[in-house]
Amino acid sequence: MTSYRLDKGGLIDRSSALRFTFDGALHVGHQGDTLASALLANGVTLMGRSFKYHRPRSVITAGAAEPNALVELREGGRKEANTRATMVELYDGLVSKSQNNWPSLDFDVGAITSLASSVFVAGFYYKTFMWPKSFWEKIYEPIIRRAAGLGTASKLPDPDKYEKSYAHCDVLVIGSGPTGLMAALAAARSGKRVILADEGSALGGSLLNEQEEIGGQSGLDFTRGVIAELSSMPNVTLLPRTTIMGWFDGNIFGAVERVSDHLRVPDPYEPRQRYWKIHAKRAVLAAGAEERPVAFGGNDMPGVMTATAMRTYANRYAAAAGRSVVVFGGNDSIYRTARDLKSHGIHVEAIVDSRKDSKADAAGVPVLRGALVADAVGGKAVKSVHLADGTHINCEAVAMSGGWSPIVNLACHRGKKPVWDAKLLAFLPPDNGPAFTVAGSAAGKMLLSECLADGAAKGAVDGKPIDIPTSRDEAFAIAPLWWVKESHGKAFIDYQNDSTAKDLPLAAREGYSDVELAKRYTTTGMATDQGKLGNINAIAILAEATGRTMDEVGTTTFRPFYTPVSFGAFTGPFTGHHFQPVRKTPLHDWAEEQGAVFVETGLWMRSSWFPREGEDWLASASREVLNTRGSVGICDVSTLGKIDVQGKDAGAFLDKLYCNTFSTLAVGKARYGLMLREDGIVYDDGTTSRLAEDHYVMTTTTANAAKVMAQMEFAHQALFPDLDVTYVSVTEQWAQMAVAGPKSRATLQKLVDGLVMTDESVPYMAALEVSIMGGIPARLFRLSFSGEHAYELAVPADYGSMVARAVMQAGDEFGITPYGVEALSIMRIEKGHVAGGELNGTTTAGDLGMGKMVSTKKDFIGRMMAQRPGLVDPNRQQVVGIRPVNQADRIRAGAHLLKQDDTPSMKNDQGYVTGVAWSPMLDMWVGLALFANGRARHGEIVQVWDGLRGHRVMAEICDPMHFDKENKRLHA
Amino acid sequence: MLIPCPHCGTRPVEEFTFLGDAAPTRPTTNDPSSMEAWYEYVYLRNNPRGAIEEYAHHSGGCRSWLVVSRNTETHEVFGAVTARDFSKAKDAKA
Amino acid sequence: MTERTFNRVSPLQDVALQGRFGADKGAVGVSFTVRHPMSIVTVIARAGQGAATAAALKGYDAQWAGPDQYFVLAEGRGEGALYRELKAKLAGLASVSDQSHGRVIIRLVGPRARAVLAKGTPVDLHPDAFPVGKSALTQMAHVGVHLTRVGADTYDVSVFRGFSESFWEWITEQAEEFGYQVI
Repeated sequence: MTSYRLDKGGLIDRSSALRFTFDGALHVGHQGDTLASALLANGVTLMGRSFKYHRPRSVITAGAAEPNALVELREGGRKEANTRATMVELYDGLVSKSQNNWPSLDFDVGAITSLASSVFVAGFYYKTFMWPKSFWEKIYEPIIRRAAGLGTASKLPDPDKYEKSYAHCDVLVIGSGPTGLMAALAAARSGKRVILADEGSALGGSLLNEQEEIGGQSGLDFTRGVIAELSSMPNVTLLPRTTIMGWFDGNIFGAVERVSDHLRVPDPYEPRQRYWKIHAKRAVLAAGAEERPVAFGGNDMPGVMTATAMRTYANRYAAAAGRSVVVFGGNDSIYRTARDLKSHGIHVEAIVDSRKDSKADAAGVPVLRGALVADAVGGKAVKSVHLADGTHINCEAVAMSGGWSPIVNLACHRGKKPVWDAKLLAFLPPDNGPAFTVAGSAAGKMLLSECLADGAAKGAVDGKPIDIPTSRDEAFAIAPLWWVKESHGKAFIDYQNDSTAKDLPLAAREGYSDVELAKRYTTTGMATDQGKLGNINAIAILAEATGRTMDEVGTTTFRPFYTPVSFGAFTGPFTGHHFQPVRKTPLHDWAEEQGAVFVETGLWMRSSWFPREGEDWLASASREVLNTRGSVGICDVSTLGKIDVQGKDAGAFLDKLYCNTFSTLAVGKARYGLMLREDGIVYDDGTTSRLAEDHYVMTTTTANAAKVMAQMEFAHQALFPDLDVTYVSVTEQWAQMAVAGPKSRATLQKLVDGLVMTDESVPYMAALEVSIMGGIPARLFRLSFSGEHAYELAVPADYGSMVARAVMQAGDEFGITPYGVEALSIMRIEKGHVAGGELNGTTTAGDLGMGKMVSTKKDFIGRMMAQRPGLVDPNRQQVVGIRPVNQADRIRAGAHLLKQDDTPSMKNDQGYVTGVAWSPMLDMWVGLALFANGRARHGEIVQVWDGLRGHRVMAEICDPMHFDKENKRLHA
Repeated sequence: MLIPCPHCGTRPVEEFTFLGDAAPTRPTTNDPSSMEAWYEYVYLRNNPRGAIEEYAHHSGGCRSWLVVSRNTETHEVFGAVTARDFSKAKDAKA
Repeated sequence: MTERTFNRVSPLQDVALQGRFGADKGAVGVSFTVRHPMSIVTVIARAGQGAATAAALKGYDAQWAGPDQYFVLAEGRGEGALYRELKAKLAGLASVSDQSHGRVIIRLVGPRARAVLAKGTPVDLHPDAFPVGKSALTQMAHVGVHLTRVGADTYDVSVFRGFSESFWEWITEQAEEFGYQVI
């Protein structure tokens, strides 16, 4: 077979030679080709196998709506399945493969389903694979998935970068054909900020595909002139290779720019794709119209394509779909196709016009009026067509046109439905108001002159349109042509889903006549093309089958995205290391020097333990505890939320936030506080210190810092706006370290300037502003979470690591150790201090043993609801200590508590273990638990039942404070 | 969706955290007889199809609590005021 | 009172390394500088003192940072000096908190600075909408930022210290396509 590349013409660079492979075979194309046009030019018409029947398929279109020619592009981590060959720009070294065939595209075993196709009708899967139920998952589904399906995804990581960006404009123009160019020009000349986006590889839309005349020059020259003018304007952004894929609330448009998809490998500094969020004050949709196929037998055979596609391949890509062609349709588009093909030297056998009265210019091509193509005859390629009247015409290709469907998708993304126009035989876009208008053929303007004028008018600002160039119009006349019922072969409606014209009346007969149900029953309009070609034909056939009008049937719901969007585009750069930001404390460098193992706590990296040679986490944490309790330790507590609360009403505000009172706190002192939710449940806890009459600094737990801040803002702004108070997070300003243990005071004394630290000068719960190391400002708190004589020292963050090193040096003579979150957690359980496991969103102050803290003298958030009977019931689960009866036994967190003799079951549940730790001080596992009426049951022996691990031990309920009950060490 | 923050100008909804219906008013008394009013304030919310005034926190911006009026059906946003002004206006009416 | 300084360590000290990076397209698109050490003080007006606070801040580099709130910036001041000065000056008018160590300011200069920032923030940075001197509180790459247009092609981005390293990695990567330098 000789080449199908035409001798001249086309927007291709014939001096370039781009080598590419399809299913391993090497071919050569030109710069300017798409993969589809290059394959056609090389005589490759078999491009894929269909989804269900595995029928041989080629291109049907030359653009974005392509349902058939889906290929796997590239290899390895860059492999991309279901890529439309019509949208792939050819590059040197392109590797592509056909999909959905086995063992090969040419000989596909699955095609046998085509022979047995009478059973593969609509609803086949639902009807056949119903029984038994267990077979579905294990047997039917895997087989169906293998037999039917599109391309396969790569399992390798994608090596390329993806990016996101925002854009803002006064006018967004979507589509750069004649309408879009005029709209952009009109808006741009008024000085407005304009973005012109088009999914094509070059701007110009249909003007690149057609032989037009505008303003006394060719359509191409007109396009080049407009693009040159727009490019020169600083207020205009041109986005070729950019698909506007969704219209969202607020007139925000989602767009995907294919920055590097036309390259073999992206530049190392460029993304493969960029996802734009475009905030447009106003937008004009100039997406054009899509030509519809006609349902006749074999309308899916390689060689059959839409009339516009065939003339686009000839005009733009200099590629012939066949050496002899039959053109078939019910509107004037087919005449133009015949003339264009003839001008390229392609032989047109006949124009088969379903109408009897067309006046369009056939340029000498024989016209068969009132005739219908019933069947394309051939196999992997067209050999001839049979007409309904029995006429037989030999040809290699068939161009078809059932009419034109405005591309209204975006205009319907926010819920409005398109409206049927019986004269144009098209659904027209709904009225969405001035912020998003539709122009040109997307709005049903079918003549070039109308498109130019409409674009200029819709793009114009303040009703000032620009001059409209003269143009030559093609005739437009149309009669309905949906389905040639005289067909013998399968007449496809939705190519991608292999649904045929007969499936729709069947769906209606079986009760699925609603358009949304028919869609799901027949799968018409599903998958990657979302029915761009087939839906209108489907609606027409459904309308006829059920005796309804097109409007009565209506369209299915148009949803984003207009065309498929890669996961990479949505993810952008936020993958792997950048999946979420990492938050480091000011002591991070110091902790790293000390060999810390870090743990993610929210976004924070916290030092978890500091292992020495050969230690696992438990050995390390145990040593850290013994060292701290035996002498001194230092721990990074910078992650606690720190909030400066200032103002005349700061105390009054804190009284509203906490269930206990802060307005009475003395300056220079700290107090533990418990914060409730308005429903009476405990929200957060922490110490708050009063630095001055009108200045408190409040601390929150690490986990709740942001939530508490938001709660404060709500309380002040929405509930108590009259309070004169301000608050600001100073969490990041201060590096804060706990220095704990009997030698903590001796250690810190070496650093503090001009203050002799005694129980009098720095008493328990003192909060002082001091300076250290010769002038560094610091805050010194005598607080203890460990139960030891302890301090928290806060210094400005940039000094954090330096000060921590100084503390280590000062404590060196006492054998100071850094300790991490694990040791901290062990010590708090030994001391019975509540934390996240107990402040878990179900507990009240009473449950935590802090009922006495709850004020009855003031209003505060949560006061009223906390008094409800259910929240003060003595049988509620309360915090208790728990320890194994047999010292060698281990208790597990999450295990449930049962009475000593009860059978293990959730019916007998009495509570559960909220936290456990190996206590190096007591040489056993100890824990905290929530236990029904627990405070009255100290001493009771219970079963600790861990159903998950199949583990049960006996334990004793005890006071939560396992260690140093008299708090002697705290005050030592 | 775009929210017109009175402090920051128009910003996309991703910068905001919604809390829900702003109609319920926190009772001003702790008298036991007010329990029913408290219960309504804490738990009962309307879920209208149509216009609603909702608390929204500009958590990704100026951190102000706003009351946004919008239509739950059409997603149209009518406007936004600060929770402070909303609260004071409510007090003035009461 | 004399102002004393101590050796402050920027969290980006070992991260923001000087040099030229990314694509080579002639002149760099963006230059990054870490503005450190800085004095940064949060000023929040007390009830009814918004106008008086704004007036009292005349002459300072005070950037809008929320309703009746400002970040006041200064270079070359001693530890805590600006904080103490403002606390005294604004007593009764406004609450003052030192944030000098809590925030990190990254300066972007260059013809593509705006394009880099547009990859993170939904704020419209067109000069008509975001003129020189204007500040915005917004988010970039999941991190809250305070953004100020300092000059026609100059912007300051201020983030919490703890996020600065993560943010630096993100924002410099966004500038790779234009070519950038770290000064």
